[in-house]
Amino acid sequence: MVLRNIKLIILMFALSGLSHAHAGDSGARVAVDKFQAELIEVMKNGKQLGYAGRYEKLFGAVSNSHDLTKIVRIVVGKEWENLSGAQQQKLVDVFSKFSVASYAHNFKDYAGEAFVFDSEEETTRGGVVIHTRLTIPDEKDVKFDYMLKEIGSNWRIINIIANGVSDLALKRSEYTNILQREGFDALIAKIDEKIDAYSKQ
Amino acid sequence: MKKSGNIMRNAKSQHNFSYMLIGMLMLGGCATTNAVGKQAVLSKADPYEHVNRKMFIFNDYVDDYVAEPVSNAYKWMTPQFVQTGVFNFYNNLKNINVVVNDVLQAKFHQGAEDTGRFAINSTLGLVGLFDVARSVGLEQNDEDFDQTLAVWGVPRGPYMVLPILGPLTARGIPGAVFDTAANPSSYVGAPVQLLSLLNTRANAEGSLKFIDEAALDPYVFTRESFLQWRHSLATDGKSLASEDFDDELDEDSVSEQSVPAAGQSAVRLGLNEYTKKFEQVSASFSNTARSFDETAKSFEDAGNKVDQFKSNK
Repeated sequence: MVLRNIKLIILMFALSGLSHAHAGDSGARVAVDKFQAELIEVMKNGKQLGYAGRYEKLFGAVSNSHDLTKIVRIVVGKEWENLSGAQQQKLVDVFSKFSVASYAHNFKDYAGEAFVFDSEEETTRGGVVIHTRLTIPDEKDVKFDYMLKEIGSNWRIINIIANGVSDLALKRSEYTNILQREGFDALIAKIDEKIDAYSKQ
Repeated sequence: MKKSGNIMRNAKSQHNFSYMLIGMLMLGGCATTNAVGKQAVLSKADPYEHVNRKMFIFNDYVDDYVAEPVSNAYKWMTPQFVQTGVFNFYNNLKNINVVVNDVLQAKFHQGAEDTGRFAINSTLGLVGLFDVARSVGLEQNDEDFDQTLAVWGVPRGPYMVLPILGPLTARGIPGAVFDTAANPSSYVGAPVQLLSLLNTRANAEGSLKFIDEAALDPYVFTRESFLQWRHSLATDGKSLASEDFDDELDEDSVSEQSVPAAGQSAVRLGLNEYTKKFEQVSASFSNTARSFDETAKSFEDAGNKVDQFKSNK
């Protein structure tokens, strides 16, 4: 009887050890899986939810899975240092709304799409890239590669590369360009205008 | 015949007009260089930004007032199945060029698949009107001579926006000439080419709408996504986009360091670039070698199958 209990305990330890190792190894993958599942769920209920409903559901999904502050820092590059604390906060705030609005606008309905995991890859600086594909019936798959970094004990998305086009690099060129040419207020005004347009369509 | 002759002549005079226009804009660009000089060289890939931006605006006008209305009329008049048929037809013709470039890039396995794709769609797919090959699992591949030149190690050259034709890089010019020459639709009358243009514009609708909605600066958005997309095609999506991102992180931390350190980082970045280029070239050689291996193996497999077939008999 004692022996059986010991066996049971050892088995439980082994299992918990295994599951811990699993979570540790692919925490990045778990984070991406969760985000993609939430996105597909919103797409499935897209019509009933409407833009406002999708926006609300996705706000949590995006801000829990992405490191939006770090993204904004990289996107504005060295201009970050030239912004005041209030401006930095304002930019992160507006950028977050813009990201969510873009998801809510572009992922509005469901026609059998599904995310498929392809592979996981470690980068030189301790990051992880999760390679996935969005399959769309009767259309060519769209490659989605997620770059993640571990912040504390959580893996957060820093960049999404869709069919080879890096969202971060694209935004970085745009944002630094506008900041240098037209300044901070113009940048915020342009983003606000886009969010407004998304909400009206 | 006379009608098509007229259209051709008009096209020719338009061509001359575009050259005149380039000349005018170039002069305009020179005259105002000082005024915009401060903002001009923001991107190394785009040294002619001031001219390109003007051309971009010009193309945008042409699109708003000519291409988009005509394309909308085409979409309104034409039933969806005809539009799909037209798209499939031109896409199928493109596959001859895809196969040629598969071979030039030593992608023999893919070349065989693309030949199969072209053969199936040209026959069972009724001269390409139906994409039957997709249903048997042969996906459309995207190869062109610009990508071939990239595989051969030809540098990309500066980014350019051409009138009507849109974004291109210097390497893309011989690329486009080769691709046009290798496409049968280039040798038929103007109406066929006009339909081809309509088809291209109609299919770009989604992307153009996306740019319009998402871009804060449509010019920069188009340039960056074009360059990245072309790079990804040329490297078959194997170039690690995360590497670029790590470089960006480096650049990001440069701003936090003192100026001399930034100088060192710049040297380091330069070196990284060289190493990366070298790695790319050696990777393309090893890819070529691998393609040869794969082809040899597929011949071997085929040989084995024939042997098996014989022995079964």
